[in-house]
Amino acid sequence: MLEVTDLSARAGSFALRNASIMVPPSSCHVILGPTGSGKTLLLESVIGLRIPQTGKIFLEGKDITCLPMEQRGLSYVPQDLALFPHMTVRENIVYPLRIRGDKQDIENGIVRALIDSLAIRDLLDRSVRNLSGGERQRTALARAVASGCKYLVLDEPLSALHESLKKELWYLLKDLQRRYDLAILMVTHDLEEAFFLGDSVTIILEGRVRQQGIKEDVYEHPASVDVARFLGIRNLFDVRMERTTDGFLWGYCEALGTALRMSSSGGKLGANETSTLVAGIRSEDVVIMIPEASEPYGTNIVEGTVRNTFENGSFVTLIATSGSSSAVVEAVLPRALAKKSGLSQGSPVLLRLPEESLFLINGVFPKSPCTETPAVI
Amino acid sequence: MNFRKISIACSFATFGLYALLILSLFYFFQGDKLLDTLLSDRTLFSIRLSLGAATISTVFSMLIALPAAFALSRYEFRGKRAVDTMLELPMIVSPAALGAMLLIFFNNPLGLWIQDHGAQFVFTFYGIVLAQFLTICGVSTRLIKAAMDEIPVRFEAVARTLGASPSKAFFTVTLPLSRRGLIAASVLSWAKALGEFGATITVAGSMAMKTETLPIAIFMRLSSAEIEGTVVLILILVSIGLSILYAVRFLSKGASYA
Repeated sequence: MLEVTDLSARAGSFALRNASIMVPPSSCHVILGPTGSGKTLLLESVIGLRIPQTGKIFLEGKDITCLPMEQRGLSYVPQDLALFPHMTVRENIVYPLRIRGDKQDIENGIVRALIDSLAIRDLLDRSVRNLSGGERQRTALARAVASGCKYLVLDEPLSALHESLKKELWYLLKDLQRRYDLAILMVTHDLEEAFFLGDSVTIILEGRVRQQGIKEDVYEHPASVDVARFLGIRNLFDVRMERTTDGFLWGYCEALGTALRMSSSGGKLGANETSTLVAGIRSEDVVIMIPEASEPYGTNIVEGTVRNTFENGSFVTLIATSGSSSAVVEAVLPRALAKKSGLSQGSPVLLRLPEESLFLINGVFPKSPCTETPAVI
Repeated sequence: MNFRKISIACSFATFGLYALLILSLFYFFQGDKLLDTLLSDRTLFSIRLSLGAATISTVFSMLIALPAAFALSRYEFRGKRAVDTMLELPMIVSPAALGAMLLIFFNNPLGLWIQDHGAQFVFTFYGIVLAQFLTICGVSTRLIKAAMDEIPVRFEAVARTLGASPSKAFFTVTLPLSRRGLIAASVLSWAKALGEFGATITVAGSMAMKTETLPIAIFMRLSSAEIEGTVVLILILVSIGLSILYAVRFLSKGASYA
């Protein structure tokens, strides 16, 4: 287990405060945050490139906070991969073996299996200067695993890659992790990447850990409005809690002009009848209904008007305002469905917010975004 | 005329200025004087002395400049700014002043003790090497540091997480990657040492067949109004310096790390 407790570090005027993370063996922990949030500073402190101001780092129970980098047992792959440009692919991969004085050839043992599983046999005698992005990535991973370290520390290693290549490498990384029983601590700002690769996730915003846990928990229950916004959730509404009935929470959303029924599992908060919370729902969970084609059934239905639609490859993002106010609801639906429904600007629409998809966040907006109309409308 | 043409014209203008100076030497050039001067014992001694002293001072300079430059490039330490500033001393004081400082040092108790118990520097070959070393050491350090600053620290960090000690990371990654910078620093330092005059003549004097380097020999011939001989010596100095600089540039062409 790699364990970081209460780590604070500083880079210029930027400070990372009291970060704690745990990476169990054979698991992938992703540190997620926007650019400049302190992710790389945390990672560089973990590998020993920076000296933390406070805090401890333990690897399998051993305090490695003050150990030099080469004795920590962590293999590091930075964002630019740092392949040694004066060496060939082969020399890069066997570098950790040569450094240890290991005469093992590339055709033996772990390295042979590694170059086969990463499909880099044909590249071995090429200079790393002449590799494509994906080839460079695979070489860097091979070198890191060849070191024999069971813990890999990856700093946005896929950020420079094309989308299709990036996804191919996600699978490769997963396969590598399983095959070599690796624990991975990885930094990224890519939400999809984080939730695909990570078993657990830490969200860092402005130098502070805002939420951490297993990825399903983080995905389904953002701990704060800031986290929800960072996770791309735009449907956030102030809700005044009213009652609890038959295991459901009821609250009134003034912005949408309707009462909302929420699954009690949707909120892990101790909501009482007088509290004001924030209810959120992901765009892809909002159900679109055409008024003439369907009877309004169930609860949490908001009458609205389509204000705009945006095509995004195989999906269409629909921006609607509720009938009773200018509150904006964002919904995403498959392109084929959107075409079939014939929805366009000005069309009346029914928006259902399924109770099982609604989640509750403690706190209120400084200014409720549900009354903000995007500038593009 | 566009910007590209103007900038290329400026580069040729710089070349032209120096080429004009070299060409003007031929006004006083006498072919029969060339072999006489070139093959004289005194000239051959000056050439050997200049090449030997410049090479030795460059080697010593690189030995200290390399680790010093690495420290200045990679580490934060108390007094770093002072060390960094001091590297420019040979550039802000004239070579003659640097030589005078050396002479004054060797007339202090510590300097006298060194001369009594170690090597004699004043008016000797060692003095030439020391004067040249002090003139080029700061420049060498500055040039190597600039080369190392361009190598991302991440290369060393990765090498270390792969198991390399700091020294192994230096010798297997940083040093090979800074090869071009090191060659450039060595060649420029050597060339500067070869042409060094002010500090050398102040410390080592101008004794024929003893401390007479090529630049000093040029000065001596000019002092005695022996223009034709001076021209030959200048041409020898220019030929040696330029051909070696050009050869090294040609050999290191295309070697880049990034």
